[in-house]
Amino acid sequence: MSDLIVRNVHKRLGALAVLKGASFSGSKGQIVALLGASGSGKTTLLRCIAGLETPEKGKIEIGGTKVLDADSSLILPPERRDIGLVFQSYALWPHRTVKENVAFGLQLRGVPSSEANARVVAMLEKLGLAHLADRYPFQLSGGQQQRVAICRALVYNPKVLLLDEPLSNLDAKLREEARFWIRKLILDLEICAVMVTHDQGEALAMADKILLLKDGHIIQEGSPKAMYSAPETFYAAEFLGTNNIITGHAAWVDGDAVRICGNGWELDGVSRGDTLKGDADAVKAVIRVEALAVSERPTIGLKMSLEASMYLGDRWEHRLRMGDLVVRAYGPDELSSPEVWCTFPQERLWVFPAESP
Amino acid sequence: MARATEAIIFRGTVVAALAAAVLAPVGLIIYQSFLSGPFFDPTATVGWDAFGFIFTDPDFYSAFGVTVIFAIGVVAIAVPLGAALAFLLTRTDLIGRKILEPLALVPMFLSAIVLGFGYTVSLGPSGLVSLGAERIFGFVPWNIYGLGGLILFGGLTHVPHVYLYASAAMRNIASDMEEAARTTGAGIWQVAWHVTWPLTFPALIFASMLNVLLAFESFGLPLILGDPAGTVVLTTYIYKLTALLGVPSYQLMAAVAVVLLALTFPLVFIQRRLLAQSRRYVTVGGKGARATRIHLGPTMQCVALAGVALWLLLAVVFPIGGIVVRAFVSAWGRGINIFEHLTLDNFRQLLIVPALARSLTNTVILAVVGGAIAVGAYLLVALAGHRWRGRFSSAIDYLVLLPKALPGLVVGLSFFWVFLFVPALQPLRPTLISLLIAYTIVGLSYGFRMIQANLLQVSPDLEEAARTAGATTGQTWRSVVVPIIRPGLIGAWTMMIIVFLREYATGVYLMTNGTEVLGSMIVSMIAGGSVDMIAALSFISIVFTLGGFVLALRLGVRVNE
Repeated sequence: MSDLIVRNVHKRLGALAVLKGASFSGSKGQIVALLGASGSGKTTLLRCIAGLETPEKGKIEIGGTKVLDADSSLILPPERRDIGLVFQSYALWPHRTVKENVAFGLQLRGVPSSEANARVVAMLEKLGLAHLADRYPFQLSGGQQQRVAICRALVYNPKVLLLDEPLSNLDAKLREEARFWIRKLILDLEICAVMVTHDQGEALAMADKILLLKDGHIIQEGSPKAMYSAPETFYAAEFLGTNNIITGHAAWVDGDAVRICGNGWELDGVSRGDTLKGDADAVKAVIRVEALAVSERPTIGLKMSLEASMYLGDRWEHRLRMGDLVVRAYGPDELSSPEVWCTFPQERLWVFPAESP
Repeated sequence: MARATEAIIFRGTVVAALAAAVLAPVGLIIYQSFLSGPFFDPTATVGWDAFGFIFTDPDFYSAFGVTVIFAIGVVAIAVPLGAALAFLLTRTDLIGRKILEPLALVPMFLSAIVLGFGYTVSLGPSGLVSLGAERIFGFVPWNIYGLGGLILFGGLTHVPHVYLYASAAMRNIASDMEEAARTTGAGIWQVAWHVTWPLTFPALIFASMLNVLLAFESFGLPLILGDPAGTVVLTTYIYKLTALLGVPSYQLMAAVAVVLLALTFPLVFIQRRLLAQSRRYVTVGGKGARATRIHLGPTMQCVALAGVALWLLLAVVFPIGGIVVRAFVSAWGRGINIFEHLTLDNFRQLLIVPALARSLTNTVILAVVGGAIAVGAYLLVALAGHRWRGRFSSAIDYLVLLPKALPGLVVGLSFFWVFLFVPALQPLRPTLISLLIAYTIVGLSYGFRMIQANLLQVSPDLEEAARTAGATTGQTWRSVVVPIIRPGLIGAWTMMIIVFLREYATGVYLMTNGTEVLGSMIVSMIAGGSVDMIAALSFISIVFTLGGFVLALRLGVRVNE
């Protein structure tokens, strides 16, 4: 059963349409990531679910309860939606201790103080904060504040946990740890979580389902693996991963198979998204940098000239050129010969019409 | 090393000048309080005579007690009303809040002496409103004179001071803080109680302290509303000492001033502490305050609007309205139709009496030219303290705070003495320069903070870029810092114009034939009772101040400290 259902939500801020019909659902023990560039509407969508923004159109259900139905002008205020929200700034109340911050939600729900106290302590212990219970927020480090904010949002067992860029204020090392333990915590508690992020690495590592937003639309949704290995649009293909963009013409089209060509080169790929209409169409193609294999000995691949090799620590990055075709590729070793052979696996060269978004 | 010396010389000179300007008058008061006669009297001896006199004078104890009760009363009225007003205007969808926001500040910008006179002509025994009430009830059902009236109107006219700090605190609360409470399950009123109120609390404590201080230093309202009923506070006690004893009893005035200083000085420092502490409450929120306003139902709207309207009526409409009407009629009273007595005579008289005409031009010159000079002086002081971590950098802070503890009346008195005491300064005493120096000290704390706030907003990077490009500290200030804060300086100038226009107490002792100023003229005429002329002067004072106020709003000056 879906714990969260969002249907066709539209939201304007002034003259600007921020959301133009977003729909998705999330279930228990599932993390949904709202991924997109800034201005894509991901935070607005989260705030609509929380009830902090009021959409003009759409329906939202949380835990089987309708919290928003624009048609019958049903709008539940945030406090009646049974949600927990972790703010990007954490928004800990500076006049309350850690314990008081966490206990507030239980007080509001009329939980007897002895029970509330036990639940607060248990929650703080779970996140390793028990020894900080009587501190004030300004006495905590950034990582500790973040854990307090998560405790505060979870302690009353909300139906849905919402996280607004939860990792953006942590430093790089803490962030990688936090990806792991936040995901584990949500799976352990079997709660439905929605997370806003602009960091694809975060979305891929933490989410069970990614929604990619652009200009207020959800342009693709799926598992991280499906999003990464089978993008349906040029935007989705290009947004995730590190990519080579290749522009050229379709030499021939046969079902999914396409041969594209440019100034002195030809490559075989597969057509994705909108099918290509015919020959000689202008096309653009995406291939992940890590999909290319480069060799100094002749292979079946394309012969290209090596412009530079850069050392990245764990690998080398090679810059290759063949006429107007310029690509980057990774390899384990430094290359020195001026001419190399580069293999483009056909299944991973995704071809789109040039005018596709 | 030449570069370092340039800055050191500048800073040293400024600190020395500031210390002389601030400490000389205070020192002279303390010195005078330990003499048995005026300092120019060669027979005066050093001793406790003056304190002995006032500490055995029952009137002094009564004035002391009245001052304390007055201060408590002002806080008790102004703080709850100011907090409520701030909540209504910043946190709810009250109708007309855009218009009410500037209106709520008006009483703060008017001279207290003008406000007091306004109450006399509107609500006094033969005031315009009182006459209306008499027609209905057959008698006037209130008496504005005495401690009760003083506390009531003192409290009502000090609401803006609280509103200013409380509303700033409420606006500064990051909307995240309140949204976090909403999503945790709190309703709007629960958010107000558990989050908004506790985060505003430090600002209210601060505003309470400020009001106690203002009440201790208050002079205009006690003079007009207290004096006729024999209610005397410490400032009016000082003022009346001369009249009481018939001889210039400088040592007694000084002794009372020292007692007053002993009360206000600790307050100023506690205030400073509080402000520093409240910093930790400044919420480290993310986004700007796009907080959802609390929706007031029709009943709540009516109740709130009625409350605000009643306050505006008492604190703004009655005093200003009374003066406006009184300035344009020759008389009113029982059975007189005021429309038959409309006249411009009151203003014509101002032109006939040279002292009154002079007081108008002097006031404008002092405010506009003097305001600019004062801002220049504050800029020098602020620059001297800017990014200075030297041994004396905190000296500037303390020197700037000190005048806050001095009522304008005492500042004027002490500078009057300084100009008598120092032979080299005597030629300046009968000129506007003496007034300008005293005014500059009165406005020092306020003006300095305004400019300092502007300086702190200049990114250190910009200055360091100039230094690394080869500029000296002085060149950096001239070519980078000052040009960047120019809009802030213009704002500060407008605010100083308003502050100097409404000042009335500082000139009471300092002004002399040829250097009359508007507010102090009113003070000197209050006892004489020439209501026609006072009404005309008060009207002009209101027009001046409102002009400055509108100019400040036009320039987008943020009218808070």
